[in-house]
Amino acid sequence: MASVPGLRFKASSSALAEFYVQVSRRPERCGRRAFSGSSCAHGKVLPWRKPRETVEIAGLEKITYADRMHYVPGLAKPVFPPWKPEQTDPFHQRSPKPEEMALYKEKPCYTFHQRSNVLEGVKQSLWLTKSKLVKGLPIQILSLAEDPANQIENQDERVQNAIRHSRFWDTTEGRPPREKFCSTLLHNLLHLCGTLQVSHPALGKRILADHYRLSATWSRGEDLFQVRGQNGLLLNSMSPVPVLAGKEEIMKTTDHVLETFYPISPTIDLQRTQVYDVRNDTGFRQDYLYPHAHTLFILEQGKLPRLYPEQLRAKMVMFTFGNALARAHALYGSEPQVLEKPIVVQSIATNGRVFQFVVFQLNTTDLATDTGVKNMVWVEEDQALYEFAKVRPLIKKKAVQVPAGLSGYQPDTFKKFLALCLHGAV
Amino acid sequence: MAVLALTGALRSMSLVAAECRTLTSQAMTQAPCMKKILPASVSSLLIPWRGFLTTASLDQNKTFWKQREKYTVRPIGMKKTGGRDYTGKIRTRGIGGGHKQRYRIIDFQRLRFEPGTDQKEFEEKVVEVRYDPCRSADIALIAGGSRKRWIIATENMQPGDLIRTSGTIGRMAVSANEGDAYPLGALPVGTLINNLERYPGKGAEVIRAAGTCGVLLRKVSGTAIVQLPSKHQIQVLEQCVATVGRVSNIDHNKRIIGKAGRNRWLGIRPSSGRWQRKGGWAGRKIRPLPPMKSYLKQSSVSAGS
Repeated sequence: MASVPGLRFKASSSALAEFYVQVSRRPERCGRRAFSGSSCAHGKVLPWRKPRETVEIAGLEKITYADRMHYVPGLAKPVFPPWKPEQTDPFHQRSPKPEEMALYKEKPCYTFHQRSNVLEGVKQSLWLTKSKLVKGLPIQILSLAEDPANQIENQDERVQNAIRHSRFWDTTEGRPPREKFCSTLLHNLLHLCGTLQVSHPALGKRILADHYRLSATWSRGEDLFQVRGQNGLLLNSMSPVPVLAGKEEIMKTTDHVLETFYPISPTIDLQRTQVYDVRNDTGFRQDYLYPHAHTLFILEQGKLPRLYPEQLRAKMVMFTFGNALARAHALYGSEPQVLEKPIVVQSIATNGRVFQFVVFQLNTTDLATDTGVKNMVWVEEDQALYEFAKVRPLIKKKAVQVPAGLSGYQPDTFKKFLALCLHGAV
Repeated sequence: MAVLALTGALRSMSLVAAECRTLTSQAMTQAPCMKKILPASVSSLLIPWRGFLTTASLDQNKTFWKQREKYTVRPIGMKKTGGRDYTGKIRTRGIGGGHKQRYRIIDFQRLRFEPGTDQKEFEEKVVEVRYDPCRSADIALIAGGSRKRWIIATENMQPGDLIRTSGTIGRMAVSANEGDAYPLGALPVGTLINNLERYPGKGAEVIRAAGTCGVLLRKVSGTAIVQLPSKHQIQVLEQCVATVGRVSNIDHNKRIIGKAGRNRWLGIRPSSGRWQRKGGWAGRKIRPLPPMKSYLKQSSVSAGS
C-alpha cells in the first residue's frame, strides 16, 4: 500500500470524509499485471522506479492512517511491528542467528565430514593428521596374504561367484545400480571371510556397526579441526588390532618433513563453522563389548558425492584417523602425548570393482606442532578385483572386444582383502 | 483486478457485529482534529482491525537464481528468458531455446583479498581450465589460501600454474608472466593485457571475449592509456588492475557453425527471411576513430568502496 507519489492535496473536511467511507480503494497499477483479462485492457506496464527515500526526523511523529485502517492521501503509511504467531509452528520454525546460539564460539573450527571433498587429496590429509605416507601394505599383512594356511577352500571360484551374484544374479537388467552391487559384493566377501572362523575362532569376536556417529577434535597449528558424523560401515572387535610399526620405526618418523602445498592452505574445502561442540566420542557407549575399531568400509552409495580415487583415499585417511583419535582420547585422556601403545585402524573402500586399502597407525596425539613423532599411513591404491562384468559382449567393428560374463579376475586383490580381515585374529 | 478491489473492500470493513464495538477506545486513538470532522456513524463503523491482507500479484520472469550474495564455485542452474524482460515483453530479439546451461560465478575483481589476511600480493594455483557455456572464453578454477574462485583463463594457462596478483605500484615496472594481475601503473608500456577495469576496484569490464587483448600504450601522470581490441583508446587511472596476456580460446572466430541447427543449439533464433533492399547500412564505411574516452572521474561504486 504505497502512497501514490504526486497525489498530494489539501483535503477539505467533506472530501476527506467522503474518502473515509469509501470502501474500495484505487488499485495500484505500478508494476502489476492483470492476468484475469486481456493485457490491453490493463494498459502498459510502467517501468520500475526506485522507491522514494523516507526521511526520518528525530522528535517528529508522523501522522499515519493506521487508526483509519485504509489508505488516505497525504498521510504517511504506517509501519507495524513484524507479526509474531502465538504458537510456534514446527514447519515454519526459524533458527536463531548463529551469533545467538549457545554453542557459538569466536574461534572457527574446520570440520571434515562425509560430504567433504578435499582438493589436495592424500597430501592434504597427511598434513592434517600429521602423518607419514608409506606406499603399499605393511609386511605383516602381506605375509598373512601369502600364507596358504589362510586361504579359503575353492577361494577363487567362490569369490568369482560372489562377483557374479552382485553383477548378474541380482537383477534382470543389464547392470544393477552401483549402490546395489557395491554393497552386495562387500557383504558377500565379508561372508566368505567369516567362513574361516572354523580355523580362526577370533573372527567370531567381531561385529559390524552402521550409521554410528563419530566426533574427534584436535588442533593443528593455530586452527581447530574436527572429524564428524557418519562415515561408513565399521567392523569392531573385542581385541585391539596389533601394532604394525615398532618403536624404532616410530622414532624414525621424527626426521620426516611434512609436505606443504603452497599457495593452498590445508583448510581448503573443509567446512568452516563457528557453532560447534568440542567433543571426542567414538560413537559407542563406554561399556560396549566391542570397543576396538578394526576396519572401516566405505562404499559409493547414497546421496554422497562420487569422489575421485585421490579424494576417496583422503577421506579414508581422515576417517581412520578420526576413529583412532576418538579411541585414544577415550583411553588416554585428552592431554597431547606420544601413545604408549599405538592405535591401528584399517579401512577398505570400493566402488564395486576397484578397491583401496588404507592402514592408519596413530602414534601421537600431540598434533599442534610439525616436529616430533608422526603418525603412519600405509596406502594401497587402485586394486581392481576384476576388469569387466558384462551381460552382453562388447562388439566393435564386428570383433568381440570384451566377452560376456566375468573377465579379468585378479585373485591378489581378494587375498589382500582377506589379510586385512584376518589381521588381529591369527 | 477483481481480487484487488475485493481485498480493499474487505480491508476497510469489519466482520465483528456493530454492537460489540467500543467507541471509547476508538476515540482515544484518533487525533482530536479528526474527531471533529467525522460523523459519529462513520467512526462507529471502525474498530482497530486491519482486515484481510491478501495479495494478487503474480511474479513472472523472476531471476531468483541470479540473486545470491554468497560466492560459490558450484554451477548454478539458469532459467531461460527467451529474450523477455520482467514484464514478459520481448526485449531482445532472436533469443530462445538451446541447450540447457549452467552459470558459474566469475570473480572479475581479481585483486580481492581473502578476508582475514593482510593486503599483500598473493599467489594462486590453477586447478582446472574448462569450457564455459555462458561466454566465449574458457574459465579457470584457481585456489589460494582456503578459497576457490573462477576467473577468465588466459591463452596458455594450464592446471598447476601459479599466478600472482598484486596491488602495489612500484618505482620500477615489473616483469610479469602471463596470467598475473597487476595495476596498470606497475606494468611496462607495450604489455598485452586483458580483463581491464574501468574504475579501480569495480571489477573487469572490458577485453573479456575469447582471443582478445589490449595494449598498454602509454602512462601519463597517474593515468594509463590502453588500446582496446576495437582500436578505440581509453584513458583509465593507473590503479586499475589488468591481467597480463591474451584471453583463452583464440580460435573462437575460426569455428565453423556448419548448419542452422547449431545456432539453435546455442539459443540463437533465425532472423527474418524477408527480402529487404540493401540501403545505407550495407557496404564498407570508412570513418575516423572516435576520440579517446577517459574514465578518470571516480564512479559512485568505487568511491563507496
